[in-house]
Amino acid sequence: MNWMRRTALSAALVAGMAVQAPAEEVKFGLLQDFTAVYTFVTGQYNQGQRDYLTLINEEGGIDGNTFTAIVRDTGNQPQRGIEAYNRAKEEGAILFDFLSTPVSAAILDQADADARVVITPAHGRGDASDGTVFPYVFPMMATYWAQAANLIEFMKTNGGGIEGKKIAIVHIDSPFGREPMPILDALAEQEGFEYRAFPYASPGNEQSAAWSEVRRYRPDFVLIWGAGGGQAVSVRTAIQNGIAPEQIHSVIWLAETDAANVGPQMKGVKRFEATASGADHPIIQRIQEKVIATGKGSGEEANVGNSYYNLGVATMAVAVEAARLGLEGGEPLTGETLKAGFEKIAGYDAEGLMPPVTITAEDHQGGGAGRVSEWDGEAWVPVSEWHAAYPELVRKVIEESAAHYGEGN
Amino acid sequence: MFYRLSGTFHTNYQADRKLWKIPADRWQIIIVFVLALLAPLYVSPLYLGSYVLPWVIWSAAALSLTLLMGMAGQLHFGFAAVMAIGAYSSIHLVRAGIPFEIALLLSGIIAAVIGAIFGAAALRVKGLYLVMATLAMQYLVDWVVVNVPWISGGAHATLRTPAVSFLFMDISSLASRYWLALAWAALITIFYLNVKRTSFGRSLVAIRDKDFAAAVIGVDPFKTKLMAFFTSSFLGGVSGAILAFCYYRAVTPEQFGFNVSIQLVAMVLVGGLGSVIGSYLGAGFVLLAPIFLTNLIAGLASSGWVPVSQNFLSHLPLMIYGAMIIGFLLFEPLGLAKIYDNIRKYFLVWPFRHARS
Repeated sequence: MNWMRRTALSAALVAGMAVQAPAEEVKFGLLQDFTAVYTFVTGQYNQGQRDYLTLINEEGGIDGNTFTAIVRDTGNQPQRGIEAYNRAKEEGAILFDFLSTPVSAAILDQADADARVVITPAHGRGDASDGTVFPYVFPMMATYWAQAANLIEFMKTNGGGIEGKKIAIVHIDSPFGREPMPILDALAEQEGFEYRAFPYASPGNEQSAAWSEVRRYRPDFVLIWGAGGGQAVSVRTAIQNGIAPEQIHSVIWLAETDAANVGPQMKGVKRFEATASGADHPIIQRIQEKVIATGKGSGEEANVGNSYYNLGVATMAVAVEAARLGLEGGEPLTGETLKAGFEKIAGYDAEGLMPPVTITAEDHQGGGAGRVSEWDGEAWVPVSEWHAAYPELVRKVIEESAAHYGEGN
Repeated sequence: MFYRLSGTFHTNYQADRKLWKIPADRWQIIIVFVLALLAPLYVSPLYLGSYVLPWVIWSAAALSLTLLMGMAGQLHFGFAAVMAIGAYSSIHLVRAGIPFEIALLLSGIIAAVIGAIFGAAALRVKGLYLVMATLAMQYLVDWVVVNVPWISGGAHATLRTPAVSFLFMDISSLASRYWLALAWAALITIFYLNVKRTSFGRSLVAIRDKDFAAAVIGVDPFKTKLMAFFTSSFLGGVSGAILAFCYYRAVTPEQFGFNVSIQLVAMVLVGGLGSVIGSYLGAGFVLLAPIFLTNLIAGLASSGWVPVSQNFLSHLPLMIYGAMIIGFLLFEPLGLAKIYDNIRKYFLVWPFRHARS
């Protein structure tokens, strides 16, 4: 980490002249899966995270404090994640992002005991939004439950009502694929629609069996719930089975790469998004100017502005904002002060990159707002406004599940 | 040199039947065991919790598998599923109020019964076909765990292990968890070394070498094969429970996926089929080599030695790791245990060239 330390130190020196507080190096552990299951997102996501931290350092840090990313591959294996966590913890990291369900699951309790912040943006346990049960875990963006609620509400308002309609949810056969079910059950009862689940086997390279069933079901709307290569297969097989692209609604994991894999037929497919895509945002512009143009970027320039890149930028924007608020008390940043900083975030929207997020000690999801965007053949175009759908219902499911966790599950 | 065979005579049956006949071997074992026992005192929590503890547990699991694959010659590509059965049953049993000590035994028996049912396929098929049958077990168990919320623990499929004590010792601190795991690994090791010398062990070896030849000399293949699966699955089930309670402490289905089964087979093969020290070396290699390589490459990269993208940086350790496996197996097809054995034999007769044993 020498070069990082050098840049960090020099940035700290420059900034330190203006501020009196002793400037420190704040370390974030980005211990993610670059080689196994989450490869479809990790590369761009992590690139966005690191570029944003570089941008903050270039701009003088927060009160002279600079940010260092400790990046390691965990290969989605819990034992490697545990090792990387323990090592980064010794190196002084106070915030962790694993972007992996099994690794996060194996570390949650330990992180609570160690008072280290774990962020699980757009992935991980939905019930971790209950800050009273998970004090150090911050989903900080719409959980899968909020995403499902948002998509259903979009179908209701933009698809000409949802009562009496049929929704097919085609999902990967894993705990992640089954995650939206509690919300769908509750909404089906409340809104009077009917839904049926069609699982396909992991990793989803072959889904024709599920989709020929879907075809027989004749759904009005289709919800696809998978990740990675399986998503493009879902869209392609759906269209082959006579489902119009406009009927297809996806979880957050559908991006530019998938659109390129599907080809021109993809036009009209909708997905949930927690952050805006494209490079036309103040923060992304500044990254272009101060990080990419000066050769300090951490990856390919072509990725800048992609959905997952922007998602990564947004996660670090929230984390850095939390660090700023945590430092306001005048104490050095630790796991505790960073957590307190997170819980002070109010109406932060990363200069328009994401919906305004307000995190409290109870609500670590930050409201759960998002919107739906549509692939127009070139880019993702938003077709609804930032808002949180059915917040009371989502909150109820969160609290029920969190209470269950508190009892030991 | 330090083996000093000269003057070591086994003049009675007792001396000749010792597990380690040569004094130098005994000394080495005692030193290693004492070092392992005192590890919590001199190893930092980072290395104890992320290296030594998982190594000990995975060695126990590899020993359980090598009993089946090495000694009885029955291939098993679904051993992670056996461990999953042990892990999940132990958690549910402890939650149901059964003491941890008994829950460990019961979870082993549950894993053994289910493992033996699938092992029944071995009565009909051999080799690659048996691999298919055990793979089926892996996928069936995975499917059941994922699809039965009662087993997997609800929507998020994560089960946390309850706080337990073992023989009045509270199993919550890192050191106590390590000692429990070490005790289990030591127990399996002693069991394995001894089972080789029993009639059961000899019939396993006979079955491995040729099952119908074994039948001709009076070994019942039906009983022996089932017993091999039963014993190995029992040990694997308890190892799975130990893995859950002493290491992960929160169990998810992904922790026992197909790739874990392959890792276990790799541990047994890289270490050396049927060897005790091979299981330890193989588990250490398969488990820890990727971690060491990742840290090494990351260290080199941050000091500017390998200026490459994060993506390449993450894959580089895997490439080296793969090359190392191929390299070791080309250098010595019988595994790391054989490399150890060659070194030992060299020193046994040093300064001469040829070993008798």
